[in-house]
Amino acid sequence: MTTDQNILLSALVDGELQGEELDQVLQLLATSAQAKIQLERYQLSSDVLHGYGSGNQQQDLTTRLSAALADEVQYTKTLERKETSQLISFPQQFWKQTAGLAIAASVGALAVVGVMTQPQNQLVPMASIAAIDDSVETMMVAQASDRWTVDEQEVEERLNTYLLDHNEYTSASGVFSYARVVSYGSGQ
Amino acid sequence: MSVDQELVLRVQAGDKKAFDILIMKYQQRIVHVITGFVHDPVEALDVAQEAFIKAYRALPNFRGDSAFYTWLYRIAINTAKNYLTAAARRPPATDVDAMDATNFYDASELKEFETPESRLMSTELEQTIHSAIESLPEETATAIKLREFEGMSYEEIAQAMDCPIGTVRSRIFRAREAIDKQIQEMMSEGE
Repeated sequence: MTTDQNILLSALVDGELQGEELDQVLQLLATSAQAKIQLERYQLSSDVLHGYGSGNQQQDLTTRLSAALADEVQYTKTLERKETSQLISFPQQFWKQTAGLAIAASVGALAVVGVMTQPQNQLVPMASIAAIDDSVETMMVAQASDRWTVDEQEVEERLNTYLLDHNEYTSASGVFSYARVVSYGSGQ
Repeated sequence: MSVDQELVLRVQAGDKKAFDILIMKYQQRIVHVITGFVHDPVEALDVAQEAFIKAYRALPNFRGDSAFYTWLYRIAINTAKNYLTAAARRPPATDVDAMDATNFYDASELKEFETPESRLMSTELEQTIHSAIESLPEETATAIKLREFEGMSYEEIAQAMDCPIGTVRSRIFRAREAIDKQIQEMMSEGE
């Protein structure tokens, strides 16, 4: 064992090896029993300084585990390296501000869409409503196939009367006037 | 990328020997943590072995979202709890946090389950190592203390001591060599 090799083993204990040097040490550990013993010694002194045990069990567990793992499968996944240092990272404050802006923008957009979808007929004179209603009625009822059908003429007329009342009420109050396009009697 | 991540990737790519390094690196800590649950040292070794085998089998699913040791620690704790449940013994009411278990220098709660012999051995080893450090040249002693007691990286130590990283590396190596020499003398005296 050379001094340089021992320096690498010491650095491995500290997790301070990368790339080629790590390859070199792994190669050394795979071929030299002495290197493995040396690494165990360095690791032991570090562990004891941190208060982890006496080292009694170390040899035993390593041997047992090596034997047990010999029967385990060998993985074949392609080596992937995450170059985390090359990723662009933003501070947490940035994400907070971005999230706040996104929420504000969403609320604003919802408000605009809400206003745009409100019926405009409350500002329109009643006479023009009738004209608009006629055109809508002709078009929509003709297309609608799920319009209710009531056998009793009296009941149907009463329902239609309710719808008309509702339509007039919505024109005055600003409530959505969807009902007027759903069903009218064909003559109304 | 940390050495642990690199080793995990190598195991995932089929290099079983890389897992031996991870075992070597963490076995003492894992046994130490398991001893907090499973008091018998022989049983604790069995549980530690089982935990490492479970970790190896689960390694293809390890994505590196947490540090390898934190992940291994969770496996070890669960293995210990399952072992106690299977043996119809109650696990401790409180868990020891992974970071606490890693950084707790005087983990008396865990140490109370050690045998008198192992405790004596630990104490002797600690004394030997501390006296070895005290006998080192000042710069070498400072380097190893900053590394082992303060947990500083080589780069941080280099900044603190105003020297190149290569110098830090060789100072820490020299300290370890001196400590190792003292340990070997202590071991040979005990035989």
